[in-house]
Amino acid sequence: MFRRKQMLGKDTRTVAEINEKIKKGDVQVLTAEEMKKLVEKSGVEVAYKEVDVVTTGTFGAMCSSGAVINLGHSDPPIKIQNAWINDVPVCHPGAAVDLYIGATQMSETRPFEYGGGHVIEDLISGKEVEVRATAYGTDCYPRTKLRTIITKDDLNQFYLLNFRNCYQRYVCATNSRDETIYTYMGKLLPRFGNATFSGAGALNPLMNDPDYETIGIGTRIFLGGTQGYVIGEGTQHDPKNLSGTLMVRGDCKNMNTRFIKGAAFTKYGTTLYVGIGIPIPLLNIGLAKKTAIRDEDIHIPIVDYGVPARNRPKLGTVSYKELKSGSIIINGKKVKVSPLSSLKAAEEIAETLKAWIKEGLFYLSAPVERLPRDTEYKPMKQSEETVLVKSVAHQAVTCREDEKIEEVAKQIIRYSVNHVVVVDELGKLRGIVTSWDITKAVAEGKEKLADIVTRKVVTTQMDEPLEAASRKMSQHQISALPVIDHNRKVLGIITSEDIAKLLGRQQNG
Amino acid sequence: MVRILLRFPEKIVDQPIIAETILKHGIPLNIIAAHVDFHGGQVLAEVPSQDIEKVVSAFRERGVIVTIPKLIEVDKEKCIHCGSCFSLCPTGAITINEDFSVNFDKEKCVGSSCGLCVDACPVRAITLTREPNLLVQNSENKKSV
Repeated sequence: MFRRKQMLGKDTRTVAEINEKIKKGDVQVLTAEEMKKLVEKSGVEVAYKEVDVVTTGTFGAMCSSGAVINLGHSDPPIKIQNAWINDVPVCHPGAAVDLYIGATQMSETRPFEYGGGHVIEDLISGKEVEVRATAYGTDCYPRTKLRTIITKDDLNQFYLLNFRNCYQRYVCATNSRDETIYTYMGKLLPRFGNATFSGAGALNPLMNDPDYETIGIGTRIFLGGTQGYVIGEGTQHDPKNLSGTLMVRGDCKNMNTRFIKGAAFTKYGTTLYVGIGIPIPLLNIGLAKKTAIRDEDIHIPIVDYGVPARNRPKLGTVSYKELKSGSIIINGKKVKVSPLSSLKAAEEIAETLKAWIKEGLFYLSAPVERLPRDTEYKPMKQSEETVLVKSVAHQAVTCREDEKIEEVAKQIIRYSVNHVVVVDELGKLRGIVTSWDITKAVAEGKEKLADIVTRKVVTTQMDEPLEAASRKMSQHQISALPVIDHNRKVLGIITSEDIAKLLGRQQNG
Repeated sequence: MVRILLRFPEKIVDQPIIAETILKHGIPLNIIAAHVDFHGGQVLAEVPSQDIEKVVSAFRERGVIVTIPKLIEVDKEKCIHCGSCFSLCPTGAITINEDFSVNFDKEKCVGSSCGLCVDACPVRAITLTREPNLLVQNSENKKSV
């Protein structure tokens, strides 16, 4: 111990000492990427001795983001009740002319293409936006209608205030369904046709300080191209599961649209790409070791987003190293995998922050309170139970593919149903026939059932929430779903009639 | 070179139409991608620009449905190199470089005959565009094979 102390001079550093070095211009800064290489080459002790600060970065879609603006008072004044910017509804959380632009709020005229994230980007880039507002009118705020064109220069305050950003790590998403699905994890092709992941892995800020020794309320950070602050842990902060999050704030007027971008995820909605970089001061050798974390040390689950439930099935785990290689193995098959956050921009952010510190443009700040390490992330308390498919599923009328159309028609009449499920000798799903198909076949003089069977069948499972099954029916404009098990064996059927009856019962009860 | 998409309905799929057209007109066709079975076929081919009209009418005379696929255009100013498009590309036209920048190789792209990446771009940097200065109209029947 004595010898090491001699070698390193001193066992610890303080933020004040590092800031002194920044002032003098002899601070040693590496990006997380460079730090890993140095530790690999020269070991932790040498790296700790040589390096004062490690910079990190991430640039991903962060939906729980938004901006607070203050418009100043109109004449006569208005106490805004509802407001829109470029047709995007903006929330009115407090007094008269404060507004919050939520990133995922969508334009009423261009939904799914333009939203709150784009409004924030447009304002930052200096563009004019149209503000519209309505109010009920009071004695002190008589105005009831407002329309005005503004830029960011006309605003009193315009700052980013994000409730949840910068997830420490996130899952890898794929899709077991027979159809393409569009999610907040991007476009997922059918039958595990691709996969996506988010987060920068070993470059991620919280991953480089997993015990939050240097990050907390008041930590100065890179935010959207300018200096911002951590103002606490983010919502859904889940430290015990290596899934910490941040709440951040920064002045939008100084931001750069290179590092803050409105985005649209098809059929999901709009969001905001946020660039965040955090400097990790190497206060002790433990932090030097932690900032040497590599992509192969960070593992995340592969999750099946094809199952529309909170507890989506996990199909295995992968490391960020595998993910960044471009392909992973799912069920023994090689599958291409897309990053959703920009790894290139993440590196650029770490580089930019490094340059700022070296040039004396950015000083570190010690948090006044560290991020909590013991909070729990609970699921929602639901006072009403989720209704599952099994509560309305009933026996399906089935037939075999070699039966005559006439026979199937008789079944339809006998059981008074509209759908007959076609199965093989083991009871596995082969297709479906509707009374309409039969009518059409008779009209066209067809005799073989095989000619009219629909083979691409949309299905459900007993433990799927009924709401999800109902959404499938309306999306595909169909009125029944065979219920199958994991081996495609037919267990029953649900129809839109069953759902209508259930809703009727609920309303009457 | 111009890319054309040839669709062969079931009733003519057993005929050697491509070979006969090449022989008859002496125009080389470069086949980029093909999927053919007894129900029909779909072939993406490259044709020299100056011969495009002759080739298209020759195929149409034989009952082939000919369309000119739209091309993928990437707006490099808008692209944030997130890579969302990468895993959707079946032809390897989209790759990710060592420095994590996203690279698009127009030569390997099959355009609107695929188009999977277009609606996956979160900043809408990917669009489909018509080949400029092209006089040939697409076939009426656009039903996919």
